[in-house]
Amino acid sequence: MKMWKIGLVLAALAVLAGVPWYGSDVLIQFGINALLLAVLAQGWNIIGGYTGYASFGNSVFYGLGGYGVAIAMVQWQLPFAVGMGFGVVLAVVFAVLLGIPVLRLKGHYFAIATLALSQVMTAIVSNVGIAGQNIGLVLPPLNNDPLFYELSLGLLTIATLTIWGMTRSRFGFGLIAIRENEEGAAVMGVNTTLYKVMAFALSGIFSALAGGIHAYWVTFLDPASAFDISLNVKMIIMAVFGGPGTVLGPIVGALTLSTISEFLSSEVTSIAGLFFGLVIVVAVVLMPRGLADMLRRMRKMGWGYFIENIRAHRL
Amino acid sequence: MSGKTHRTPLLKVENLSAGYGGMHVLHDITLEVYPAEMVALVGSNGAGKTTLLRALSRILPCTGSIVMNGHELSGMTPDQAFGLGLVQVPEGRQLFDRMTVQDNLLMGSYRRQDKAAVARDLDKIYSMFPRLTERRRQLAGSMSGGEQQMCAMARALMAAPVLMMVDEMSLGLAPVVVEQLMEMLAAIQRDGVTVLLVEQDVQLALSGADRAYVMETGRIVHQGLAKVLIDDPAVQQAYWGL
Repeated sequence: MKMWKIGLVLAALAVLAGVPWYGSDVLIQFGINALLLAVLAQGWNIIGGYTGYASFGNSVFYGLGGYGVAIAMVQWQLPFAVGMGFGVVLAVVFAVLLGIPVLRLKGHYFAIATLALSQVMTAIVSNVGIAGQNIGLVLPPLNNDPLFYELSLGLLTIATLTIWGMTRSRFGFGLIAIRENEEGAAVMGVNTTLYKVMAFALSGIFSALAGGIHAYWVTFLDPASAFDISLNVKMIIMAVFGGPGTVLGPIVGALTLSTISEFLSSEVTSIAGLFFGLVIVVAVVLMPRGLADMLRRMRKMGWGYFIENIRAHRL
Repeated sequence: MSGKTHRTPLLKVENLSAGYGGMHVLHDITLEVYPAEMVALVGSNGAGKTTLLRALSRILPCTGSIVMNGHELSGMTPDQAFGLGLVQVPEGRQLFDRMTVQDNLLMGSYRRQDKAAVARDLDKIYSMFPRLTERRRQLAGSMSGGEQQMCAMARALMAAPVLMMVDEMSLGLAPVVVEQLMEMLAAIQRDGVTVLLVEQDVQLALSGADRAYVMETGRIVHQGLAKVLIDDPAVQQAYWGL
């Protein structure tokens, strides 16, 4: 990476880290949400962007992370950090137990199977006594938004550094090979089953940690909000909008879309969803491979880039 | 065949049977491949050639024994067998289309740790395939079929194979290209790599190989020196309609 790029990233990080000192309460709260969504988009990036398995089950990890924290703190009176660890353990166990059968499926079938998993989780957890059944759990409140903000930013930084390290490692190349041609990767000696499960678990760890922070922050958790499928759709849209399979794309996508969404809901309130949908449609038509791809190819092709994409859609 | 029996085979397959689900495809396959020879496995569509390759490379479970270089392969996973030098050039090439030629070749050396040896092999392979040198920065998927097949063979070579199994190399390629590929395969064999060539094009395979096995409905029905089999009336009748 070039020096100016590193400088730019560090400057952006400093600006983000400083928000609690100069930003309003509303901005901090918006920031926590946006950063946690960015972590989820990064988590999805590992399994969906790099490995090529479009998972609709990542919201399960998010929910398990939340329940890990809630059960540890409410039922067992353990500290928050232990709860986070418990959530990660739940996510990894889930990723390994269900990843081994489900990751045998490809394409749409994998997407449908993971979608089903996330729907089933709501029903299962509603019947688990220790998880508060369908009433949910109320966590001890901690009124410290700047702390939650910095925790979220720290988690996003760790997730991004992990992905950056991954793209330069043998493991990362193995995942990309699986995405490009799974049979070819297997023939070249990549242990595809192990790698896919590891990618699924790694993606789950970050999603679970995001879920844990969110649960403690909002101090309430019930099955419907913990395993919300629309969250999964959101993380995919954000990762794809920014550029799946790139290190910074999902962050840019998450922050951009969160900002647009927030702006729309304060400006046009009731029909914000309509305008947000319009933004997504325009993005899909003009830059189907994400912002990262657009920035790279705009330099070479100029405005012709958009024209080519429009033609590819036969509009 | 006689005269070779005193040597130890590199690959010895005995009573191998395999299938998909409850359906048996391969019945009691027994064959041997000796070091540095080129063995052809021929037969028409549906004879079980690719199934046999899949069993050998451990993608498909099987019964019977597969011994390579003194190691029993039948309990191994595909990547363990690959680690012993059993490398496949798969049917349909299975390249990483959106990666460059160079990256495809480097993926071949994915399991190797010795960077200096990998760099040496890369140079050597580029000099063997000058066409790939010209196209090293190009996306593999944008090349012609013949070039892609070269790339797949070069990628397999980057894995430092002991036994290279080439599946349907000639599929969908012009005869003149296939001829070039056969010459390259001969060069690879001269380099000390043992080659198991699986082909539907019986004449092509028999003209290039040392020995051959002929398969029919999951069984080996003929075997022997390729130059003898090529004139065998039974083989001619079965495959060329003569």
